[in-house]
Amino acid sequence: MAGIVCRTASRVISSQVSCSSSVVAVRNSHWFTSMLSLKTSLPLRAEPKKKKKVDPRREIMMKERLKKKLKRLEKVAPELIPIEDFITPAKCFDETRIRDAPKLSFEESERRALLLKEWSRYKYSQHQTEMDTINEALEAQRQALDELKLESEELYKAALSPDTDLFPFQHEGPSYTPPVTNYEAPEGKYNDITRVYTQ
Amino acid sequence: MAAPFSRVYRPLWRIITTSALNRGVRNVSSSRQQWSAQNVKPAGAASPWALHGAVCLQRLPAVSQDRSPIEEEFMELMHQMELERSLLSDHELRLLEDAARMSRKQEEDYDSDEEEEDYRDKEIVTAQDLEDIWEQKLKQFQPAPRSQAVDEKDVSSSERCLADSLILLVKKHVGSQKLWLLPQIQWQTGETLRQTAERALASLPGADLTATFLGNAPCGFYKYKYPKDIQKEGSVGAKVFFFKAVLPSHKHLPLEKNSFAWVKKEELQDFLKPEYLKQVRRFIMAL
Repeated sequence: MAGIVCRTASRVISSQVSCSSSVVAVRNSHWFTSMLSLKTSLPLRAEPKKKKKVDPRREIMMKERLKKKLKRLEKVAPELIPIEDFITPAKCFDETRIRDAPKLSFEESERRALLLKEWSRYKYSQHQTEMDTINEALEAQRQALDELKLESEELYKAALSPDTDLFPFQHEGPSYTPPVTNYEAPEGKYNDITRVYTQ
Repeated sequence: MAAPFSRVYRPLWRIITTSALNRGVRNVSSSRQQWSAQNVKPAGAASPWALHGAVCLQRLPAVSQDRSPIEEEFMELMHQMELERSLLSDHELRLLEDAARMSRKQEEDYDSDEEEEDYRDKEIVTAQDLEDIWEQKLKQFQPAPRSQAVDEKDVSSSERCLADSLILLVKKHVGSQKLWLLPQIQWQTGETLRQTAERALASLPGADLTATFLGNAPCGFYKYKYPKDIQKEGSVGAKVFFFKAVLPSHKHLPLEKNSFAWVKKEELQDFLKPEYLKQVRRFIMAL
């Protein structure tokens, strides 16, 4: 009696729900004894069919969304490396460090002003002599090249060609005292505390 | 019309500025330029001037120059002004603190417990002590003297006058005379003038001087005519082209006397002939 009722009920349901034809077959089968077990296995049976079409697309969509978010984050401009020379250290604003300004006498300030003017005149004349020497040397070279051109074109062209072995040119400039012969500089340990920034 | 005009114009200008003796040479060279457009000639075949390459070898200063009186005064003024405008350094602050602490110790109501609370664990090395230690260390180092023990008048040593740049001169037979010259040698066909100058340097007897030549172009030239009895057809005189070279900064070997001289620019007039000197002075810079 109950089985007949079940069957009719299931037929009514199956007429409305198309995909539950398998439900009817399951219910009719003698392998499934309880209703509960049928219910739990139903969604497991039904969904794999959906996943085959939609889910790969959904996964691809998720990945693309994540990639777009990453790109948006990366587009932010990298933080600039601070130039340590341009940042005045806090020590300089310490008030305890200010010196008392000395009071200059009139003669002293006059002497300073006159010395500065004398210095500018000295430097000007020094600059003039330097420029004159350089121009003289350049003129001598130009005349030498003209003479060489008169002599032979080949040598002139060889003289004008650039010298590739000259650079990089190295020479130790003058120091206050000349180098000590056979001097062994003492070994020293040091801690390198330079700050290294990465962007 | 412009091109031929310039060829004629240049010789005239040269005649005005240089001596009349060179007039013949000018016309020869300008007409030669006109020929070369028509015939292809080997280099220097018809030139009446013998070519020489010479090297102006400089030993650059190893020690800084002494300051002139105005430079000394100005340096002192600058130091003073910088000191006045500066802030107190850590070392100076420490000196002041130590001085204040010493003066507090001398007072009668000195409470040693209050003070020593902070300083008990620290060593009592004042900033003044540190200064003395540093001075002691400085005195242990002996730098080489600025003017070396070499006699300043000894012209053959390259260690003289470390504060100036020196030029190398060689004594050479020219015709019947012995003259002081920059090292020079005759040009041979097939080499550039710079190679001639390098050969001139390498052929100096008793000296392995490896120098860096500054560029392929000559820095100056000197032209002279042979005396009338030596002048033959096709050789009027010689042209010497100078090339600059610089000695490296490490120690050099001494050269033999009486044939080599290391000379400052001011001393050149004691060694070189006036005409030669006039041309050489132009490109030697003693700044």
